[in-house]
Amino acid sequence: MNVLVVPIALLVAVALYDALRRPMLRRLAFRNANRRRGEAVLVLIGSLLGTAIIVASLLTGTSLKASIRDFARTQLGPVDETVHVSGTSSLADVAGAVAGTTPIAGTDGGPLTMVHSPATAWRAARGGRAAEADPKAEVSEVEYARARSFGGDPGATGFARAGDTPTGDQADVLRPLADDLRLKPGDRFDLLLYGTRRTFTVRQVLGQIGLAGYYTGRGTGSQSVWVAPGTIDAMASAGTNAAATPPDGLVLVSNTGGVFAGAARSAPVVDELRRRVAGIAGADVRPLKHDLLRDADLAGKSFSQLFTSLGMFSVLAGVLLLVNIFVMLAEERKKELGMLRALGMRRAHLVRAFGLEGTMYAIGSAVLGGLAGIGLGRAIIVVASSLFKQGGRRFGGLDLRFAAPGRSVVAGALAGLAISLVTVWLASVRIGRLNVIRAIRDLPEPPATTRQHTRSLILGAAGVLIGALMFASGVSTEAWFPAMVGPPVALLSLAALLRRWLPRRPLVTSVCLLVLAWGVGCFSLIPAVFKGVDIAAFIVQGVLLVASAVVLVTLNDEVFMRLASRMSGSSRALAARLGLAYPLARRFRTGMTLAIYGLVIFVLTMIATFSTLFGKEGPRLTAETRSGYDLVLDTNPANPATPGELLRQPEVAAVSTLTHGFPQFTAPGHPDRDRWALSGFDETLVARGSAPKLSKRDPRFASDREVFLDVLRHPGGVVLPSFFLQHGGGPPTSRLSIGEHVSVFDANGRARDLTVLGVVEEDMAFNGALVGKPLAGDVLGPQAVGDRAYVAVKPAVDPDTAARQLTARLVEKGGDATSFAKLVNDNLHEQQGFFRLMQGYLALGLVVGVAGLGVIMVRAVRERRRQIGMLRAMGFSAGVVRAAFLFESTFVALQGIVVGVVLALVVSYQLLVNSKTFGSQSLGFSVPWLPLLTLVGTALVFSLLSTLAPATQASRVKPAVALRVAD
Amino acid sequence: MTSLVAEAWPRPEPDAGGDPILVASGVRKTYRTGTVAVEALRGIDLTIRRGEFLAVMGPSGNGKTTMLNCLSGLDDIDDGTVIVDGQDIHALSDKRRTEHRARRMGFIFQSFNLIPVFTAEENVELPLLLIGAPAREARRRARAILDRVGLADRHHHRPTELSGGEQQRVAVARALVSEPAIVWGDEPTGNLDSSNAAEMLDLIEEVHRAGQTLVVVTHDATIAARAERLVRVTDGQITADGRPADLLA
Repeated sequence: MNVLVVPIALLVAVALYDALRRPMLRRLAFRNANRRRGEAVLVLIGSLLGTAIIVASLLTGTSLKASIRDFARTQLGPVDETVHVSGTSSLADVAGAVAGTTPIAGTDGGPLTMVHSPATAWRAARGGRAAEADPKAEVSEVEYARARSFGGDPGATGFARAGDTPTGDQADVLRPLADDLRLKPGDRFDLLLYGTRRTFTVRQVLGQIGLAGYYTGRGTGSQSVWVAPGTIDAMASAGTNAAATPPDGLVLVSNTGGVFAGAARSAPVVDELRRRVAGIAGADVRPLKHDLLRDADLAGKSFSQLFTSLGMFSVLAGVLLLVNIFVMLAEERKKELGMLRALGMRRAHLVRAFGLEGTMYAIGSAVLGGLAGIGLGRAIIVVASSLFKQGGRRFGGLDLRFAAPGRSVVAGALAGLAISLVTVWLASVRIGRLNVIRAIRDLPEPPATTRQHTRSLILGAAGVLIGALMFASGVSTEAWFPAMVGPPVALLSLAALLRRWLPRRPLVTSVCLLVLAWGVGCFSLIPAVFKGVDIAAFIVQGVLLVASAVVLVTLNDEVFMRLASRMSGSSRALAARLGLAYPLARRFRTGMTLAIYGLVIFVLTMIATFSTLFGKEGPRLTAETRSGYDLVLDTNPANPATPGELLRQPEVAAVSTLTHGFPQFTAPGHPDRDRWALSGFDETLVARGSAPKLSKRDPRFASDREVFLDVLRHPGGVVLPSFFLQHGGGPPTSRLSIGEHVSVFDANGRARDLTVLGVVEEDMAFNGALVGKPLAGDVLGPQAVGDRAYVAVKPAVDPDTAARQLTARLVEKGGDATSFAKLVNDNLHEQQGFFRLMQGYLALGLVVGVAGLGVIMVRAVRERRRQIGMLRAMGFSAGVVRAAFLFESTFVALQGIVVGVVLALVVSYQLLVNSKTFGSQSLGFSVPWLPLLTLVGTALVFSLLSTLAPATQASRVKPAVALRVAD
Repeated sequence: MTSLVAEAWPRPEPDAGGDPILVASGVRKTYRTGTVAVEALRGIDLTIRRGEFLAVMGPSGNGKTTMLNCLSGLDDIDDGTVIVDGQDIHALSDKRRTEHRARRMGFIFQSFNLIPVFTAEENVELPLLLIGAPAREARRRARAILDRVGLADRHHHRPTELSGGEQQRVAVARALVSEPAIVWGDEPTGNLDSSNAAEMLDLIEEVHRAGQTLVVVTHDATIAARAERLVRVTDGQITADGRPADLLA
């Protein structure tokens, strides 16, 4: 933001100075704006949309970040770090070690001990309601009085008004769980863990604040219960499930600085904690809040980048509209500007008069765009929130809340203001270059002078050299930007170089065709450079393609005119001729409008194509994920279902259990320890003839299955997901290579070196790193329980029905079964939802395009008033005049649409079929006819609607009035 | 220079002093701006004969152009009738009147009013295309008449690439190309220098000699002097109607 302030302040200061100290410039600017109020409004709309898009992009990221950060307030409160031990036997030792003889610098008071376990909460049928259960509940114990004083701010703990610690069968239930199970004080419910069941009475319902809201499961709502200390241990001791993981013993540490700022002190505190508990086996220090806030930042940034990057197409469309409008304003005022110059106005003053007028629009659009951006951002969050609630892999269950901090709004508005100001001032400089005589007499531009030729030669030669160097350096360093942009720069410069000797049209046409070919094929021609590129690469590619296609089309549009001139004199043919003549004669404004349409339709078509193709990937992804099984079943690690129990279920034919946990990893390019899922598997996972599909595998192996078997035979191997250690959204950014080494750390901090033997493209079940069960057991320790199972159902049993039945029957085990097909489809559904959200968001660009076309047509009616009068005098009917205007707008819009659609389809085909940009799996390609027809139809209809009013206005021009001169 | 129109494509010899081509009776026109009403034409009665060259003169703001607009059907009238070739043009719908204009009238204005995005020949062929002439035929005839007005080397030039005199020649060619019954001129030399104005006047006279009915509104006495008949309009009424030699004396 600070970077923008200085140039903005400078440009605004110049305008302000002129407004205050130069009355003539002020009069020119203000009165011109006032004279054409309608157009002033359209200018504002065009530029405010760009600002609104930027502001909305920032707010979507800010909202996601704020929503995730809010977990710090609602689920952690004063807790910054935890020291975990499995079981409670060493908890006192850990607490003693953490407390030490002196407090740890940067911490706030002494540590707090707590016991925690996953559980199933169950409420019996009553009052006509069936029994209800929550398999993802968690139960915890803490001394309330100590918890209240923990961290120094009782209000932040959630226990300020919670009273005494529960005793006996009393339980304090968190609001989300109470709501789900319809529990109120006095109600009785059961908790099931370690194979035991115990009935509790709700003493009170606690709000989800701070430590009281502690919850490790997915989603915003804490499904938590607080019970009397010793309850969990007692249930675990009485438990009958030998496979269960012991309860978590936790020592909580709070840093100074409050709920959010305290996390900044985590690093030294974690180091000291690790030092103090080093001698205690299995004590695992976790900087919970630091990691949470980091994830929030990453996710928010990634979300903002996604929206800002894709929104850039619409922002560019807004910029082009602004330039177009300013150039049109200049054309309309050409004679008066020429007269002003003739009367002695300096060129700089002409520029500043325009700059002042533009600055007014820019400031107005920044303010209005900021406000519109808040509304747009809220709309996006409302839609995204419903997607999140549906529960996909990435953000499932997150309660996304809209946040519009002033800083984000101001930053977005300033970015929009900067873009508008730079655009209007550059356009003003271009306008200021007019020749007095040519402006007054409305003469065409003369051919280039020798000096201009010489300048073209020098710049052309320099450009060719720069382009070649960019390409060479891009290829050698695998940097996509110079590699992609270098050849077009060189080719365009070559055109400037050769322009003196070769005819313009064939020369430029050839260059445009070559740039188009390069833009389409670059991903396939040098795949190493474009491997794993971010969205910015596609934006640059889109801009290059659309720009060259627009130049190509506008340069060769005469072919349409030649065709039209051969048509006979029907009124339709005359309308077509008139409608074609103006866009062909005004190449700049036609080209700008084409570019606006082309850019927006390009990205919308790309998204529609990808959305359709990915949407059809369900069956393939299911087959590649399920490894011959039908559903995945998670049970409570404190009371897991054993393979024997599962095989006794009537629907079940085969089972493969996985141990599942979240140890710390380091990887190439990721030197800091970071937690990620790890699953231990055995030979049963690949016993049904297939294995999870790998996008990459060690070439020593002939099949994916062999990779998994080798991981089992040699414990040093690992199969990783393509999203490994990636906390933000978007496509995979890590470039995992076969043979690379990652380290995994057990609870005692001991590292194990693992070699990457394969990469799973789609880790739909979020298994994380896949290793053999023995290694998982070593790493996870007592936490390594088989609480996840791949289940194959018997023939003729529907997997979805079986999943529902198993979930219901295994409620005491916390059973939660989902068929692989549903798992994949839920994720695809979330993905499709995001595609739709992006389409809706980017359709704003279409508003820019339609508004731009409307502006052009409104101005066209004004500019051509006398000509329309003459046509009407000659006998052109009102209908032909109206049809000519409609034809003109349709012609421009249709050309832009065709440019966008064709380019997007060609690029999509190339990316999906002939490149590895979206993974090694080549996707089939088909044209998404229905979405495309809807898109094209919508764009055309709105374009026509935007022209209907000016076209009708033109048809109503009275010839006598339009042609009148004083007699 | 031989007869321009007859040379471009044959047409019957005009019936000098022949039958009326336009008969206007009691034409009234009032302009209203808010509560202010200005009576621009106050009962115009005028008959124009086929092949006649009529000049209309009068002080500025006295209704000359309004009369041209109302008699040609470019503007509506409040009262009276205008019969052109037996057809009451103000009784026609806007669409029919427009069609009538396309087939029966041509216009030349002071500021040329060429379509800037069309070349000279494209401008000239427009009226022909409008009445349904085949594209090839329209182009041929446009070129022929452009040649006749001395613009043989300017067919493919756009208006901005032509001088004022050349632009007005294109406008004349456009007005004549569809062989209209009447050509209306509103200050056709108003934007031209004296040399170009003189050439334009020669051209107009030549066109008239070929049998074309011409009605020209002008301030220029030299144009009026070369007309067959002169009408003076003052305060929205015809105050004089006779031979130019008599009225200009």
